[in-house]
Amino acid sequence: MAKSPAPKGKDNFTRNIVIAVVVGVALIMVVPTVLSSRTNTSAAIPASVSAERGYGIVYNEELTGVPVIDIYQDFQCGVCAQFEILQGDYIESLIAEKKATVVYHTLSFLGPESVNAANAAACSADQDQYLDFQRTLYSNMPAERNAGGWSNDLLAVIGGAAGITAPEFAECVKKGDYLGWVSNAAAAGAQANVNSTPTVFINGKEIDRQSEYFDVAKFRAAVERG
Amino acid sequence: MKIYFPWIGLVARLILGGTMVAAGYLKIDELDKSQMAVRSFELLPIWLANFLGIFLPFFELAVGLLLIVGAATRVSAALIGLLMIAFIIGIIQAWARGLSIDCGCFGGGGPVAPGTANYTTPLLRDFGLLALSIYLFYLPQSKFALDRHSSSAETTGE
Repeated sequence: MAKSPAPKGKDNFTRNIVIAVVVGVALIMVVPTVLSSRTNTSAAIPASVSAERGYGIVYNEELTGVPVIDIYQDFQCGVCAQFEILQGDYIESLIAEKKATVVYHTLSFLGPESVNAANAAACSADQDQYLDFQRTLYSNMPAERNAGGWSNDLLAVIGGAAGITAPEFAECVKKGDYLGWVSNAAAAGAQANVNSTPTVFINGKEIDRQSEYFDVAKFRAAVERG
Repeated sequence: MKIYFPWIGLVARLILGGTMVAAGYLKIDELDKSQMAVRSFELLPIWLANFLGIFLPFFELAVGLLLIVGAATRVSAALIGLLMIAFIIGIIQAWARGLSIDCGCFGGGGPVAPGTANYTTPLLRDFGLLALSIYLFYLPQSKFALDRHSSSAETTGE
């Protein structure tokens, strides 16, 4: 492995610089990214969000002895819309009749407009109209993802359609007040090993993906079984 | 025959490096999905899978670039070879356990509908890339590389 005594014009200086730059830039990029994927406990959280429950939007937090339903969803996920359309009435009746604690986790892995929509959902929770907003979102879901369908301007309009009239809502949507919370919710979903949406846990255990998500009777049985 | 080796080395570097750069670049935009792709192999503890989901795209991009310019060819090829062995193990165990996942090799990933998972294509590709990295590890001399090698073919100096 002896070095050749006479370098042939080409020395290793350039090579070493290139190696240092590539490795250095990669480290400069990866370290902050890893750090920012951690939970930022100082991020603003909307009303009815519980950090202990994975930064989900919680209904009936105070109840004990009832099933806890955790729903992980992405507002650009078509299957989530189907789930909400099929099971939404039943889940909302459980909330209204105080028969279950329901935690909505808004994930955002389908792109920037999922982030917009999740932020807007948090803004609607501040106005105590999350469920109305979610329903309106899913029934107006754009056919194509990240194509301007859920720009912040349009999300503010959707909020109006859902009956949210407070001017703070539109401001919160456009300013992205809850972007820190959105990434906290995403990190919590990653820690909970949620790998697709929708994912539904009842009392911390995932229900059967093959049968229980899209069958009204079987979903109801799964909730009642607890 | 030996005078062709540096040209074969160049082709191997460009294919291997280009593939790594593409794989890294396509994931870097959607690290949430990249983390999900690693988690769905159900092989590693969650925290480690989440870390690798972020780390791997940057790593692939960096070693890919080094290979393309031919700097630290031997070390880069060795690292990629180890990575390919890890990927091959991950895919085979997922296949053997009957998981239905997309490897997320070039972005995306995560669970897919039962019966639609394709494990053959990524496995064949990874074995091919492993072969290229083994070649470059043993014969790192190649044309248009920044690495300086002595004229003697026996010296595989780094």
